Amino acid sequence: MSLTDLLDEAGLTGRGGAMFPTSVKLRAAFDNRAELIVNACDGEVGTHKDALVVAEHLRELEHGAGLVARKVHWAAHRGSDTEDRLLEAGLRVLSVPARYVASEESALVSLLHGGLARPVMRHEPIARGGRDSQGHRLRPTLVLNAETVWRISQIAQYGPGRFRGFGTPDEPGPRLVTIGGSVERPGVYDTAAGVPMRELLTAAGAFEVGAVGIGGLSGGWLSAGDAWSVAWSNAALAPHGLRTGTGAIHVLERSACPLQYVTRLARFAAGESAGQCGPCMFGVPAVATQVAQLADGALAYDEFALLQQRLRLLPGRGACRYPDGIAGFISSALRTFRADVEAHLAGACVAMKERAGAAR
Amino acid sequence: MRRARREAEVAEVIVDRVACTAHGVCAVMSDGAVELDEFGYPIQSRLTLPPEEARVLVEACPARALLFRRPT
Repeated sequence: MSLTDLLDEAGLTGRGGAMFPTSVKLRAAFDNRAELIVNACDGEVGTHKDALVVAEHLRELEHGAGLVARKVHWAAHRGSDTEDRLLEAGLRVLSVPARYVASEESALVSLLHGGLARPVMRHEPIARGGRDSQGHRLRPTLVLNAETVWRISQIAQYGPGRFRGFGTPDEPGPRLVTIGGSVERPGVYDTAAGVPMRELLTAAGAFEVGAVGIGGLSGGWLSAGDAWSVAWSNAALAPHGLRTGTGAIHVLERSACPLQYVTRLARFAAGESAGQCGPCMFGVPAVATQVAQLADGALAYDEFALLQQRLRLLPGRGACRYPDGIAGFISSALRTFRADVEAHLAGACVAMKERAGAAR
Repeated sequence: MRRARREAEVAEVIVDRVACTAHGVCAVMSDGAVELDEFGYPIQSRLTLPPEEARVLVEACPARALLFRRPT
């Protein structure tokens, strides 16, 4: 059986957040003799799983990468421990600026082929090659997340049946999650779709749970009540407008004002736009400024309507899906923390005191 | 490809978001088909127009940010 058939049978989807079927990407890559970039940047906020895969499973990673392409590049953030490990192993390292958007698929391809680490407008899958906006040709290049490559190796070694022994029929296979925030034991956990969130939170020793962030800056929020009752899978998270994404789970403590926390991330997001596409370059900072005003109790009701309009205009208007992710993240916060939003619009962070007094 | 385009009743035009620098010429020339956001960038990412109107828009863009969508 060919590798792509094996991966089809296993039902492997990309572990970098997009969850696209790996076999489909691989077929396009094989047809175009694409080079491979193994993405070990852990670019998503709160995700540290690729570092663990490189630190503990590098031999299996190399095996998996060797099955996919003859020429392999290993992408890691410049100056990271992961980069050091890859260099020590004598691998061909693509040193990536430690910026959020720099490890996006097409940004890595652009960097590899001599351009800047910025996303490229794609009119067809980049595994078939393409051109950047200056017209420079980009050779066919396949980008796979490091955990995905590790899973390819495991499926090739142990077969799709064993892989399907984990997870649910629709979302099969073992998966890594990174749990952080208000937890006693932050770190990377081995799990699978369908596991109750309660188990993950308990395993990490979550305490004072006020809300749970899922999927970092491209994800969104669960209220504490939902977080204790929902299962960790795309099927269970979909009604909340969320996806498992890169597997980042962030516990926000109850005594913290969620809007202050969202503001910190929104401000970070404003500085992380690659500054290429106007709607993102101007839209994300504009939205971040308004979120900060909201958190300070200084946003008027009519200005809140403008914030919502700006959020509606962000998605689908960039070379990459960064603005889509930011809009989703902030919109989810405004929904999940509606009570806090209303208190702040009325001019005070009363919710903070209420939450501190309330029981779990 | 040229022949197919000439025969088509409508043409599809896409915005290259990286190339677009908000000159706004498309909004002025498109008779309402292109609307701009508060920063001056087109709200629409994809336009379906009569081929002649599409050609005029594509050629008028100072940033060359409007592209005919490749027939698939």
